[in-house]
Amino acid sequence: MRLLIPLSISLGIAQAAPVNFADHIAPLMKARCAGCHSGAKAQGKLDVNSAEAILRGGNSGAAVKPRHTADSLLLTKITTGQMPPAPGPAKLSADEVDLVRRWIDAGAPADAMAASKPPAHVPDENEILSILQIRCLECHGKRQQLGGLDLRTRASRLKGGKSGPGFVPGDPAASLIVKRIDSGDMPPMQMLREYAIRPPTTSEVDKLKAWIAGGAPELLPGHKFASAAPTVTEKDKQFWSFQPPRRTTPPTVKNSTRVLNDIDRFLLAKLEAKGLSYAPEADKLKLLRRAHLDLTGMPPTPAEVTAFQNDARPDAYERVVDRLLESPHYGERWGRFWLDLAGYADSEGFGQDDGVRPFMWRYRDYVIRAFNSDKPYPLFLTEQIAGDEMGPWKDSKPATQDLVDRIAATGFLRTVPDPTNATERGFIQERMNILADEVEVLTSSVMGLTIGCARCHNHKYDPIPQRDYYRLSAILQTSYDPYDWLSPKKREIPLATEDEFAAVAKHNQPIEADIKRLEEKKDKNQKEIDALKGKLKPRPHIRALTDTGGLPSTSYLLHRGDATLMTEPVEAGVPHLLDAPGMDPYRPAEPYPGANSSGRRLALAKWLTQPNHPLTARVWVNQVWLRHFGRGIVASPSNFGRSGVPPSHPELLDWLATEFVRGGWSTRKLHRIMMTSAAYRQSSAAADDAIAKDPENVLVSRMPLRRLDADALYDSVLRASGRLDAKPFGPPEQIETRPDKEVVPKGGADGYRRSVYVLHKRQSPVTMFDAFDQPAMTPNCIERRQSTVATQALQMMNGTMVWEHAKYMAGRIIDEIGDDAGEQVRQAFQRTLGRAPRPPELAALVDSYAEFAKHWPERLAKDNPQAPRSHLARWMSLTTVCHTLLNSAEFAYVD
Amino acid sequence: MSTNHASRRDFFSRIANSLHGAALLSLFSRDLYAAYDLTAKQPHHEPKAKSVIQFFMNGGPSQVDLFDPKPALSRNAGQKVRDVNTDVSDPRAAGGLLPSPFAFKKHGQCGMDVSDALPHMASVVDDVAFIRSMYGEHSNHEPALFLMQSGRIVPARPTMGAWVAYGLGTENRNLPAYVVLDDPKGLPINGISNWQSAYLPPVYQGTRFRTEGPPVLNLQPREELSTPLVEAQRKLLRRLDEMHRVERPRQPDLDGRIASYELAARMQLAASDALDINQESEATREAYGLNDPATQSYGKRCLMARRLVERGVRFVQLYIEGQIWDNHSNLESSLRYATTKTDKPVVALLRDLKARGLFDSTLLVWGGEFGRLPISQAEPGKEKEAGRDHGPSGFTVWLAGAGIKGGTVYGATDELGHKAVEDRVSVHDFHATILHLLGLNNRALTYDRHGLAERLTDQFPARVVKEVLA
Repeated sequence: MRLLIPLSISLGIAQAAPVNFADHIAPLMKARCAGCHSGAKAQGKLDVNSAEAILRGGNSGAAVKPRHTADSLLLTKITTGQMPPAPGPAKLSADEVDLVRRWIDAGAPADAMAASKPPAHVPDENEILSILQIRCLECHGKRQQLGGLDLRTRASRLKGGKSGPGFVPGDPAASLIVKRIDSGDMPPMQMLREYAIRPPTTSEVDKLKAWIAGGAPELLPGHKFASAAPTVTEKDKQFWSFQPPRRTTPPTVKNSTRVLNDIDRFLLAKLEAKGLSYAPEADKLKLLRRAHLDLTGMPPTPAEVTAFQNDARPDAYERVVDRLLESPHYGERWGRFWLDLAGYADSEGFGQDDGVRPFMWRYRDYVIRAFNSDKPYPLFLTEQIAGDEMGPWKDSKPATQDLVDRIAATGFLRTVPDPTNATERGFIQERMNILADEVEVLTSSVMGLTIGCARCHNHKYDPIPQRDYYRLSAILQTSYDPYDWLSPKKREIPLATEDEFAAVAKHNQPIEADIKRLEEKKDKNQKEIDALKGKLKPRPHIRALTDTGGLPSTSYLLHRGDATLMTEPVEAGVPHLLDAPGMDPYRPAEPYPGANSSGRRLALAKWLTQPNHPLTARVWVNQVWLRHFGRGIVASPSNFGRSGVPPSHPELLDWLATEFVRGGWSTRKLHRIMMTSAAYRQSSAAADDAIAKDPENVLVSRMPLRRLDADALYDSVLRASGRLDAKPFGPPEQIETRPDKEVVPKGGADGYRRSVYVLHKRQSPVTMFDAFDQPAMTPNCIERRQSTVATQALQMMNGTMVWEHAKYMAGRIIDEIGDDAGEQVRQAFQRTLGRAPRPPELAALVDSYAEFAKHWPERLAKDNPQAPRSHLARWMSLTTVCHTLLNSAEFAYVD
Repeated sequence: MSTNHASRRDFFSRIANSLHGAALLSLFSRDLYAAYDLTAKQPHHEPKAKSVIQFFMNGGPSQVDLFDPKPALSRNAGQKVRDVNTDVSDPRAAGGLLPSPFAFKKHGQCGMDVSDALPHMASVVDDVAFIRSMYGEHSNHEPALFLMQSGRIVPARPTMGAWVAYGLGTENRNLPAYVVLDDPKGLPINGISNWQSAYLPPVYQGTRFRTEGPPVLNLQPREELSTPLVEAQRKLLRRLDEMHRVERPRQPDLDGRIASYELAARMQLAASDALDINQESEATREAYGLNDPATQSYGKRCLMARRLVERGVRFVQLYIEGQIWDNHSNLESSLRYATTKTDKPVVALLRDLKARGLFDSTLLVWGGEFGRLPISQAEPGKEKEAGRDHGPSGFTVWLAGAGIKGGTVYGATDELGHKAVEDRVSVHDFHATILHLLGLNNRALTYDRHGLAERLTDQFPARVVKEVLA
């Protein structure tokens, strides 16, 4: 270590007496700060030439608060890089910053004399616990007590482990814990790597010593948690979205002929006030296509079109809506929307192969089934937030499908990128990021709150203090314990139905027998064995979120969101501003006898699903509205707070929210009432006065003309081409990267599955999905954007995928129709656009078909002049027709 | 930019005022809710740079073997240093201090030290500003790449190129604003996430131009159609879409979509032309090393980069195959492989830009996601094959061209070359500096997301490194 001495003064004094101003800080201040902060003309009236002057401070108050680094302005200014300001002296190095930190921790002594005095301040037990928690508890805590040592409670610390008591109050030098740390034995390097933990900093060790020297004072009972200062006032809570929804009365309208249900009264009243009304009703087929795409994500089949055209009953349309709500494809469409909110992906986003998640799809299946069975929204939320706490499950192996679903539902809070399968990406910051991302998923999707900023500071616009953020985050801490971490691989739960276990066993048995036979051979071929092993199906597991049980670790308010700057402890809780009148408070308790689960998440679900919760029903109703009408009543669906967009129709929003709750929280009823309104049945034609007075269509003076999203577009191509494999559920369809790097779904023997069943890898999204705005989950997507870019045109016109599907489609039409060109074209048109072509359209298609047929033989001759080609040319010509139709604006847009 | 929320009404009126509005507008892209497009936008202040070419040396080039000589390594060869030890990924493989196998010499007026691994670089040091005090936050490729690209060690945030495209748009509407030239031999770690737009609209995402075959994915029809077929198909599509559109007046989204198909057709021509290096002279090809198998691949990308900035592309990012800078073993030979491939082409591009008067408007940026440690890394018994492990605490990057004070050497690492200690430059400082040169203020370049003003430098303190500016 000889070498290191000139390198850095800070290293040299690591073992020496506590840092003091005269010896350590003064030179630093002189070189970097005194240029401005000195003498009579000191900037901000701060003089840094003595410890006393620094303590006295300047215009902004004391620059240092002894032993309170988080409240010491001097340190904050340095660590945030604000001081020294550019282009002044160099910023302080990490070691120099640490020196300042240690000086403050030591009580900011003026000189060695002052420093050697017994410290006046003795850290409290919470400070010590925070250090132990972040550095030691992985090995000496809940899951393991290496050396018989458990450092979690005062009693267990005193008791110590196999080598004796952990510490001796009043005598740091005699305390085993200090001795082991000072000698460098603890924490052991190799273990730190394995558990992704950094060694304690010098100031932390100093604190530990000071605490022991001061007699290791215990926290008094009742002192456990600092009481929350009342930073949220009654006035704050008066904001509309923090008050429970009120049942509103639909207004009367002048022209009631356009009213089909109460939704229309709310909308027409506002339109009439502007001298507007609805656009005329959409024609039958356009309405049919809209309803199909909205509810199932696919256009109607020619047979469905014909049936609807022939249905003269007055309620033919309502019957279509009912039929579609019963379709299994409904859950796939609306499940996909929910998966956006949850941030669903089949990979972790890190590492080799992007860290594919082998069992995430069970959550996807749960969601689709939940929509198809119209699961009441409170149950739907409760299962996703706390399915594991709703009743016993651990000993139920094998289990019923309902139980599997209830556990798989908790995948909702297991979606965000998680790098921690590799320990070198599993340190405390990364763990905290995961926790923060899950908080964001939860709050943005179902609470309509943007609270991520409160991770580092009090919310600027909404009354959400930083403390409330960490109280909310603490609800998840018993499941995602950053101080006793479980990587994704360690969280998989071997639970499935008997049938599923049996199916896997049945599949694997003969393969396992073959493997055994091959392994027993003398000259065994490892390649062959490995190939067989690759065919084995994995034992079924669930990617779930469960409580880690036992004594919960303490949660802290983190200064500036820094995982290592733990300040005041906080209790699990929900934001104070949502304590609306008449609401039951958040109250965690053991969920059922013997659960060994904190009940924190179940309590959250109960609190969230109260009928008069200010946000829950409003937020979901708004999400459904947004997807039917193209714009939310609150146009910022994840932000109902002050910085969000105020509702365009607040009374309608509340009416829908209360109607939703009254109807037993049935999402299906919600669709029905929205889709049978006259508003929804309007045409998308934009009249001049509507454009002039309602340019953004905020008032719903027409239905929006919309581009299909990535999923609907892809699924529509499959449906039109006849290559849709409608098989639901199960492991996703694989993807492949073609030589030209286009990523495409691989397909299977039965065709291609809907996009919701295609493997969603974060690092290699299917090129077409990506081009058409399927979201990169960051961590989730509240509302998809609809861009129109040239790469989309290139993808559709020149990509292999669409061409291949067009080829298949043309081949099928020839098989079914025969040689009649006019009839072929009519069929192609009907399958893609769901209607018969009008004469000019038919003429254009037939003309071009003939032109294609003229050019194709010549083109094919280029490949091989000898090969027969008239037959192929006919097929390729019709392919070109189908391909053009799949590229038409009408195919990609819904009126 | 908060001014980007040009309203739909505004957009609509522009459409309505011209008969063929959509076709006339520069509709590279539009978003449903706001006019997010690539039209050239006003910067915050007078820019020095119009374009950026970033040599992204993914893998982590070793500062102590290229730009930052440390005699202490030779004096104390083999000595173990506990402080460095804590940074390594595999403690068993962590050896003592490893002297550089390369010889350093001072070059140019500025006297910058460059090792003999980079002979071409050594000849242009007076045009370059070196920052020897960069530091990151993570010693792993993935998080470090995320940090370098997007300012955070987590995935799924917009990259710097996407922010630049968002802030400035492009001056050539037939080409993307942000072009990525990746190595045909393979993508860097994190794959396409390295140029993602994340929550920014996808129009700002980096577009990969491939240097072999058709330049853009799907730029040419897969099953090659003959010209008459392509034209016949386009004619049919136009006829169908026109009939569709006539029935739906005043639908800007539909107009935009039809325009995007027309643009796609133009882009096919423009991109093919931009990347056609056959138009270059033999002297140029020779200078970029196109006649030498070692430099041919990277040289081609460098030359294409010049052709792209000439055509107004805002941000060009060049990647290098796999992990050639990730010299965990056989330090000398593996590092030399990387320098041989890149040194000549990089410098040829710098000189070419100067010769063509583009050096004053183009910013060149060279660097990786971190540097390397001063100690050796070798499995026990394999000390002869020693390399260096990742070193995020101190490394070198360089900037040259528009607005840069050539011949600057800024910042310093400690005596071992391990940690940046003097004039430390964070990744956020680095980002702020590049944005500044492009006329953008990192605090003001924001994007509204769920009511939060997001930015590349997030809430982190970020300082423009004025010391390297002209």
